[in-house]
Amino acid sequence: MSKKKSTGKNYDFLVLGAGGTGLAAAMYAARLGLRTLVLGHSHGTELPIGGIITTTHIVENYPGFTKISGPELAREIEKHALSYDLVSVKGGKALQIKKKKGIFIVKTEKTDYKTKTILFATGTRWRKLPDSVKNSSKFENMGLSYCALCDAPLYKGKTVAIIGGSDSAAKDALLLTEYAKKVYMIYRGSEIHPEPINLQRIEKNKKIEVINNTNLTKINGDEFVKGISLDRKYKSSNELNLDGVFVAIGHEPLSQISAQLGVKLNGKKEIKINHMTSETNIHGVYAAGDVTDKPFKQLITGVADGCTAAYYAYEYITKEKVMVT
Amino acid sequence: MVNVKIYSTETCIWCAKAREFLTSHKVKFTELDVGSDRKAAMEMIHKSGQMGVPVIDINGKIIVGYNEGALKKALKIR
Ligand SMILES: Cc1cc2nc3c(=O)[nH]c(=O)nc-3n(C[C@H](O)[C@H](O)[C@H](O)COP(=O)(O)OP(=O)(O)OC[C@H]3O[C@@H](n4cnc5c(N)ncnc54)[C@H](O)[C@@H]3O)c2cc1C
Repeated sequence: MSKKKSTGKNYDFLVLGAGGTGLAAAMYAARLGLRTLVLGHSHGTELPIGGIITTTHIVENYPGFTKISGPELAREIEKHALSYDLVSVKGGKALQIKKKKGIFIVKTEKTDYKTKTILFATGTRWRKLPDSVKNSSKFENMGLSYCALCDAPLYKGKTVAIIGGSDSAAKDALLLTEYAKKVYMIYRGSEIHPEPINLQRIEKNKKIEVINNTNLTKINGDEFVKGISLDRKYKSSNELNLDGVFVAIGHEPLSQISAQLGVKLNGKKEIKINHMTSETNIHGVYAAGDVTDKPFKQLITGVADGCTAAYYAYEYITKEKVMVT
Repeated sequence: MVNVKIYSTETCIWCAKAREFLTSHKVKFTELDVGSDRKAAMEMIHKSGQMGVPVIDINGKIIVGYNEGALKKALKIR
């Protein structure tokens, strides 16, 4: 293992994805003396450095911070990782990965990197509304948004809906009430299922009306959203007039690239890992965070699994005496 | 002289990235908060034909979203 500053193209531990999981793993890997590179998308429609936690306004369940905004927490985690000379964070997208003589080669648009071990911490992308919801593509960014934190301020004094029943959807609903005059929370299941503390907040908030057992079938409007159609009557109508629709119906794992190495995925396309070591079915290849098959997905669990991966990568490199040439 | 305007909201992460990018390349810009400034919001919607932020206007060329490649091209940054 090299103690040199983390520059150049050869690494001990290469992390794909610069979300909370990847950055925390890098911090830990550096403590174990691993030269570490974190590659993360940083432009276009992908998530910025810090990942998906940057899309939430408040985090109240990350130890050490009673209450902190997602972007601020991500900055702290990035700063912590970068406080180690052995860590380097670059805004590149991994396009291709192969294994040659026990070493992994990761291709980005500009550079080829060599590494002894790899961590997939590529997270997820928002699940879009299915095509069965009429006009869902037509109204994207025309009143239909997948990022409440980005677009909520545009709906001051307006009526909006959030589609979804998870904790993320509930947090988005609560954020929206800071701007909108009315927020419908529309969920296909029988009961929304946020963390109990957020459920209580939803129940107490007079601006929020929860509509369970109901699917969105169509978005209505001319140039911009004017309303939605539902598959069940609500207050004797299948139509709701509103100005904006926010979507939080879950996420799809960004695991495709791992398939190039023969990494096994489950039916949901999540990377299958050993829940004790974060290792995949391929030696020297790890995965952690939202992209994996672990059922409970939070920043704190991703961070823990990322650090676990760093530890087992260190063990692997030491035991197998892997060399990058 | 390049005339650069960012239409943004106070909470948008990609707006912060755009701001960071322009500042780091020493590009002067004006920022309009479409969350609090109704007129700016209408101007943004009119110029870009959509409601997502950020929208960046570089001498009349409209870039929707944070796209480093498009920004570099429009600002002739290598
Ligand atoms: C609205 C909302 C609220 C939430 N609130 C909380 C909360 O209060 N507390 C909590 O603990 N959790 C919360 N979560 C969950 C938490 O955000 C995630 O579990 C966690 O941030 C996942 O981190 P990650 O690093 O695994 O993935 P991500 O943060 O998604 O990071 C993955 C990164 O990898 C990049 N990437 C993907 N493919 C490639 C590639 N080929 N090459 C390079 N880079 C790539 C992506 O662009 C992204 O930046 C919330 C989630 C949402 C959506």
